[in-house]
This record gives sequence, C-alpha cells and structure tokens, in this order.
Amino acid sequence: MGNLRLKRCAILGLLFSVGIFASCKSTNVVPTDVSQTREVVDELGRKIRLPAKVTRAVSLAPSLTELVFSVGAGDRLVGVTTYCNYPADAKKIKKIGDVLKPNIENIVALKPQVVFVSTASQLEAFTKTLEQQNIKVFVTNPNSLEHIYKSIEKMGEVFGEKENAEDVVTNLRKRVAKVEESTKNSEKIKTFVQLDKSTFTIGKDSFLTDLIEKAGGVSVTKEVSTPYFKISKERALASNPAVIIISESPDNNTPSEVFKNSSAVKNKKVFKIDADILSRPSPRIVDGLEQIAKSLHPDKF
Amino acid sequence: MKVHSSEFRAQSLRVGVGLFGLLILVIFGAISLGSESLSFLELTKLESAILYDVRLPRILLGACVGGSLAIAGASLQALLRNPLAEPYLLGVSNGAALGTMLAFVFFESYESSRSILAFAGAALATVAVYQMAKSRAGMSVERLILSGVIVMTFLSSIIILLTTLLDATKLRSFTFWLLGDLSQATKGGFYLSLAALIIGSIILLSQARALNLMMIGEKDAFDFGVEIARTRLVVFATAAALVGVSVASSGSVGFVGLIIPHLVRLAVGSDNRNVLPFSALFGASFVVIADTIARTVIAPREIPVGAITALIGCPLFIYLLKRN
Repeated sequence: MGNLRLKRCAILGLLFSVGIFASCKSTNVVPTDVSQTREVVDELGRKIRLPAKVTRAVSLAPSLTELVFSVGAGDRLVGVTTYCNYPADAKKIKKIGDVLKPNIENIVALKPQVVFVSTASQLEAFTKTLEQQNIKVFVTNPNSLEHIYKSIEKMGEVFGEKENAEDVVTNLRKRVAKVEESTKNSEKIKTFVQLDKSTFTIGKDSFLTDLIEKAGGVSVTKEVSTPYFKISKERALASNPAVIIISESPDNNTPSEVFKNSSAVKNKKVFKIDADILSRPSPRIVDGLEQIAKSLHPDKF
Repeated sequence: MKVHSSEFRAQSLRVGVGLFGLLILVIFGAISLGSESLSFLELTKLESAILYDVRLPRILLGACVGGSLAIAGASLQALLRNPLAEPYLLGVSNGAALGTMLAFVFFESYESSRSILAFAGAALATVAVYQMAKSRAGMSVERLILSGVIVMTFLSSIIILLTTLLDATKLRSFTFWLLGDLSQATKGGFYLSLAALIIGSIILLSQARALNLMMIGEKDAFDFGVEIARTRLVVFATAAALVGVSVASSGSVGFVGLIIPHLVRLAVGSDNRNVLPFSALFGASFVVIADTIARTVIAPREIPVGAITALIGCPLFIYLLKRN
C-alpha cells in the first residue's frame, strides 16, 4: 500500500519537474535577428555571434572589467565580480559572485549579450554552463603584454569602440617603449617576484616574466615552465636575488624568511607593488612595468 | 607468555639498533639530496644557509612528525583493539587541522596558539569518534571506521567552509598545507616537535604493559590490576597531543600511523613494549624518505608529502581491509 503511494508520488513529482524544465527551455531562448548580428572571434579562436551593438555585458574577472573600462565601455557592464574594484565606478555595478565562484542564476537574470571570461580564471566548466543557457561567452587569453594589447583591441571590436582601443594601445606601446629604451643598455638585474609568503612565485609562462625583462631585469625563476608555482625554499635561497618585488596585499608585505640573508634584503632592495596591479593582465600592468623598472634601475627614472 | 626470556630481549635490541641505524642512514641520505646540489666538503656561505636553515630543519621535523604519527597510531590501535585505527582515518588529524586554522584566523600573531588549538581539536575529534563507535557489544572495526569517516567528513566540510571564507592568497597556502606539507619547517617547529615526541613516547611506553593486557580483554586487564579508565585517558590525550603538534607544523600527513605499526608488528609481533618504540623509529625514517621524494622529483617545484604517504598507504589499507 504505502509502497504504491510512494511510487505514485514519485511519478507525479517526476512529471511535474519535467513540465517545469520544458516550460523553462521554451521561454529562455533569446530571440535573435540574424540581420542585426555580427561574428566576432575570441582569443581562443572561437566564433561567437553578437548583436550589432552590445549594451549588456558581464565580466568575470577584475582584469576584464578594467579592459572594458579602458575602451570607454564601462557603462555597458551590467555585472562584475566582487573583486572588481577598479576603476571606482566598477564598484557600483551589480556583483555576480567572485572570480572562482560566479553565480549562474545572477548572470542569467542580467540577460547579458556577452560574458567575458579569462583563461587565467580556469572556468572552462563554467563557460560550458553559460553556453548551455544560450549565453555568448568571449574568452581572453592573457599571457603576455602583446596579448593584453590584443585583448584591448578585441574589446574595442566587441563594443564598437575601435578608435578608443587603438588610442589606448598606442599610448601603452609608447610608455612601454620608453621604459625599454631607458633600460636597454643597463645590466639585467636578478629579480624574484614574491606572490605570497610561502614562496609562491612566477614561472616562464607568467606575463610578469616578460614584464621584468622589459623593465631591465631577469626573473630568477624563469626556467620553470609553468605560469605560477610554489618554489622550494632551497632554490629560493640559492637564487639570491638582487631585487625582490612583493605583490603587496595584507598577507604579503614583508620578504619571506628564506631571503633574510639575500643581497636584496641586505641592500634594502625590496619593493612592494600593489597586488591588484601586478596580478591583473589589464592596461594598468604598464603602471606595474614602470614601477618595476623604477625599482630595478632607480638612476634611470 | 615467556616474553621475558633473554633471547627475546636480545632480538628486540637487535631490531631496535637496526631501525635506529636505518634512521641515521636515511637522514644522511636525505641531507645529500635536494633541489640544490651542495659541495659538502667546503660549503660556501650560501650553501651552509641552505643546509642548516632549510634542509636540515625540514628533515629533522619530518623525522619527528613521522615518529609522532606512527607511535600515536600504534598506541591507538592497541587501545581500541582495532588494527585500522589511524589518526588520519579517525578524523583526529582533521580535528587538529581545524584547530590550527582557527588559531590562524583568530590568533594569527601567537604562533604557539596553533599547537594548543591543534591539540584541542585532535582531542575533541578523538572523544567524538570514541563515543560514537563504542556500543554495548564492544567496538567493531566497521563501527570505528564509519565513525571516523563521519567525523572526518564533518570536519572537512568545516575546513572547506573556512578556506572559502578566507581570501584567495591565504587559501593557496592552506590547500598545500592541508595535504601534509613540510616545506614551512623551522628550527622552532622542530624543537617543539622533538620535545613532544620524546615526552609523548615516554608516557606511551609507560602504558605499554597495560596496553598489552588490555589487548587480551579489558576484563582480564582489570583483573591484572590495570586502571582501565586512567590508561585510556592517558593514551588518548598523549596520542592527540602528538597528532596535534605534528599537524600544527606540517598538516595532515596521512597513513603513517597505519602502515608503520603494521609492518613493525609483522616483524616483531604485537608486544607493545616493542611495537611502540620501533614504530616511532621506523615512522621517522618513512616520512623522511617520503619527503625526500616530495622535494626532489619535480624540483624546484614540490609535491605535498601527504600525497606521497597516501599513495603508498591507500593500497596497503585496502589490502589490510580485505585480509580482515
């Protein structure tokens, strides 16, 4: 008896939920008029269809938020992460979760025409979830300064702000060229980038390795082919850097114990640069470059 | 029980000396290996800093942690009359880990608070598992392991909750540490661990005879004059303290307390007067070997040592479970 009733309940429940999902599917499809759309290729080479004018975009990383603002399209962002704190206007935009855990419901509710995702956030699975909801996803792949220029140009294309984007890139290229010019003939200074106190640092594939070269230095951990890793204390000690750059945050503002006898600490060559600037592949990274160059070669700036 | 025969003593002595020799050998081996190769005949200033400030404290801490976990596991197995009792599998390590994290969040500037809260966490987890596992019919293997799994899972979920609330850079160092990681070894941590190991071993050894009798049966032990409640309290508290101090310095290095006492028992039988000290010696060698692998195979990157011990320990656990 009880068993039969249980079965009936289960079947009813099942039918009910199928009904809900079916009705959802039918209302969730966004009507698109093909004549008013265009095709854009993202940085992974995937083709996506966007409306002629993008007015509702969501950014899933602080660096992407900064990129959108840099081409003058910040007012078209309708959702950002809780980490998006720059420029000040970004703080007023609706939050859709943090970088590691964006909230799919919040994003769907905002009806975005495009969502920006960075490969650095490792959100491959989440990208699929978004696409299943019929949301267009534009992926950026920021591995070097050149990639950041390309991202800016792509943002210009997405938002129809190509001229702005080109101006931004030209300006950044000039500033970078100036730094490179000033440090070109100077000695390459051995630099360690401290990302946290447990000696987390940069490897060959981080854009910061490229940045240090441009600033007239050489990363002491550049032979390890990975973007970021935890280096053994022995190797950190043996590397004996002449300069330590600390990616500054409340938990990371003094050099790690292992460096207490390094030439950097002895000669007071430890410099702190805001972690928000150093960790984000955005236009502000050139500010970072200038600060690194100034730390490595104070006589030249 | 002719355990007092002189032949038996001589054999024990030989095994003890052998294991001590092995430990010394392993430590010297570990000293000679690392992500940096050192010229031992004439150390430069930098090389001596690498050796004395980084490598040596880490090796010695590893030895203390291994010894502590193995002797804690061996004594818990004897006390609970259960071959699968292990600090990590019973959730005791997770209790200590949670305590350490709470200390880190609330009393960051007081380093000593970590060991104290780790001990408190380990002790609470031990009591919780024991209360859940015991029944009128005694304590079956299944019941104990299930209780351990429940406590471990519950504590893990709180740990995950905490790491989610902590900010991203802190989270990174914790995920490494949670898996068992000796890379943050300091001389201070080593001295504390060594003191805990020596005092803890002396206390546990003083209970070895009582544990032997309790392994036969608690009623028999009582008839022989063992104060069961007192023995239980002393062993639980000491094991929790050893696990707490180890976890506070190096996270949850799993399976050491399982593998080592088993191998020791296979070699010398189940007399706790032998099993306890030999487990400590052999456990020390084991963790030093595992950590040497962890810090050299992909140098200058590192693997958490807990991953290595679990890689060796899990298959052995399955084997023991099948055999039971």
